[in-house]
Amino acid sequence: MRRATLVVALGVLVLTSAAGAQQEQMQMAHDHGAMEMDANGELSWRMPPMDPNMPMMPGLMGALPAVGPILPGFGLDPMDYPEARPREVMDLVDGQEITLTASVVRRMIAGRQYLVFAYNQQYPGPLLRAPTGATVVVNFENEIDQATTVHWHGLRLDNRFDGVPGVTQAPVLPGESFRYEVLFADTGVYWYHPHMREDIQQDLGLYGNLLAVPTQPDYYAEVNREEFLILDDMLIDDAGIVPYGDAAPTHTLMGRFGNVMLTNGATDYRLDVDRGEVVRFYVTNVANARTFNVTFGGAPIKVVASDLSKYEHEVWVDSVPIAPAERYVIEVRFDESGTVPIENTIQAIDHFRGEFYPHVDHLGNVSVADSMTDRDLADGFATLRSNLDVAADVDSYRAHFDRAPDHEIELTLEIGDLPLPIIQSMEFEKGLYVPPVEWNDTMPMMNWLSTGEEVRWILRDRASGRENMDIRWEFKKGDIVKLRVFNNPETLHPMHHPIHVHGQRYLVTSVDGVPNSNLVWKDTAIVPVASTVDMLIEMTNPGEWMVHCHIAEHLHSGMMLSFSVE
Amino acid sequence: MKVALRLAGLALAATCAAPALASPVPFLCAAPAALPALEPGTPYYDIELVPTGRVPGTRRAAGLARVNSTGSPFGVAVTSSGRYSVDLAVSFRGLVPRARDFAVWVATADLSEIHYIGVLDEAGNLKAEASWNKFLVIVTLEANGAEPGESWDGPIVFRGMSRSGRMHTMAGHGPFQAEACAKYGY
Repeated sequence: MRRATLVVALGVLVLTSAAGAQQEQMQMAHDHGAMEMDANGELSWRMPPMDPNMPMMPGLMGALPAVGPILPGFGLDPMDYPEARPREVMDLVDGQEITLTASVVRRMIAGRQYLVFAYNQQYPGPLLRAPTGATVVVNFENEIDQATTVHWHGLRLDNRFDGVPGVTQAPVLPGESFRYEVLFADTGVYWYHPHMREDIQQDLGLYGNLLAVPTQPDYYAEVNREEFLILDDMLIDDAGIVPYGDAAPTHTLMGRFGNVMLTNGATDYRLDVDRGEVVRFYVTNVANARTFNVTFGGAPIKVVASDLSKYEHEVWVDSVPIAPAERYVIEVRFDESGTVPIENTIQAIDHFRGEFYPHVDHLGNVSVADSMTDRDLADGFATLRSNLDVAADVDSYRAHFDRAPDHEIELTLEIGDLPLPIIQSMEFEKGLYVPPVEWNDTMPMMNWLSTGEEVRWILRDRASGRENMDIRWEFKKGDIVKLRVFNNPETLHPMHHPIHVHGQRYLVTSVDGVPNSNLVWKDTAIVPVASTVDMLIEMTNPGEWMVHCHIAEHLHSGMMLSFSVE
Repeated sequence: MKVALRLAGLALAATCAAPALASPVPFLCAAPAALPALEPGTPYYDIELVPTGRVPGTRRAAGLARVNSTGSPFGVAVTSSGRYSVDLAVSFRGLVPRARDFAVWVATADLSEIHYIGVLDEAGNLKAEASWNKFLVIVTLEANGAEPGESWDGPIVFRGMSRSGRMHTMAGHGPFQAEACAKYGY
């Protein structure tokens, strides 16, 4: 079961570049003094980094996950690999053909070099920008040492190109290629990533944005510039990237939270603007598990759009909570010179002490120059637009909002043979309090030790009792399906789940029975603990499709189902 | 719920229909069974308002503050500091009307911040908001039509605490580490 095909030390190169705040975070981690290889030179487990204020649970010292460790790139000399470069933009037209290659690259993260994955040797992968309605042919080549596919997240494209191994295509083995026809069906921002072992491949850098450019010039308000923010985190300690599970993921209870925050793949993201500029940010969360609460130094944020459409009405907010795989289109005006921090501001939880504590992760800076922009868009920015086109689109579905659901699923889990202290801890906590959203890894050791061998996350069809891939709903093209999702809090380890529906679009019509008064078309939406979320799915796209949690470790411990549209 | 499974462990190696892409997981396969239909809304975060017994005739009344996430474009409502924003719907059954008002307050657990919400209507209902990590809902009996001060003047009739208050486990501080619980804000 333990795979150790690459047996030489990774050889993390400690370079002298500015490390910044991220390095401080890494230094905060416990230094367990462990090496990443054992006496035989093979990759070995070491305890994950933890907040030094968080105590070790008695009885877990020395415990190891039930699966073996794997770390792509382990044993390879980083200097033998090309250095990754920042993302480039590919402006594409209908029918254009491009090549997208997944490969191993050398990349600097927080002052140290690592071997990771990249598309076209870029971090993030290239931004693919095409007019709405265009189809682009992507010749994908797999040059990593794992089977993979590419999933075009959120795009309502032909089912054959959805990138789900065993459902829509065979895995693309190392050295093989696959031809995708990517339809930029709906105006909006999307992303692409593997649909195999996302906990490893996506975490190591296989992700990039797609933008379906509006065909109407005034689809969005006028802004001074557009910027793409891809938010991520990685789990790194003094010895390097913490290994992953080989036969199954580790961290399956909560998902793998990182301790190094990345914006567009870097720890030192910076944007330079003139004073008064209005910036439209396309924000994507590609983290395995972390939900961010993004702030811009207290500046008001205008929420414009999400996954597949604009909102019915633009609104002001102070922060943007964004779960894995979600996207939000927001606008911010920088009206004072200086540095505006982009931060993840949360109330973290220490379950051991039973306390909340404020926590801030630095995600980047916007440097605002003294000089005023020569195109002041303050008036337009101050105006909240109502999108009558969206409201009109939604109107034809309103008759379905209040009817009984067609299907109900319950989100739950089963826990097998975990170490007794973990079970005891969860039994003790059961019935006390679980927050609607887990913003931080509240139990790093327990989480690390829980693998896909012991934890099975479940989507349970309440009508049939069937679970996960045993559920096979059948629909006809044109069906409007009301799905009620209940996140059961009465389990040993409840947690929120970002639920992704492939190939279709849906509306979140209500949460806990409270109607949603500002609708937007989604493909991924968060279902907080104990919540009942009603989704109205428009079945327009024929084929075999998936519904799953987009926390990578939950997905790979079973939390997915399929449905067909004929 | 599934504690029994841990006892079974690997001995129960029957493979439920394994996810196509994940490793087979050794779990007991229960026969599928239908579950009752769901009603939207959940009592999980509800706050029971418990009588203090200080006011005669209130012990038999049942009070509840239903907690729902405040409307948000994101599906979950939090402040810029990450605190949850919730709507509270306070309601009572069996509360006998009085000459004085039942006033509702929300407060932090250490009473360092207290917000007056209003008085219960004739049906015993009131809507409120809160955005603290842990908070109290307090119902007091106040002079009819009195202008509320910084805190209540009358007796506390009912009180309840947000479910997050149950997280105060005492395992990590207090008796074991001789740390004042108040240090952690309860």
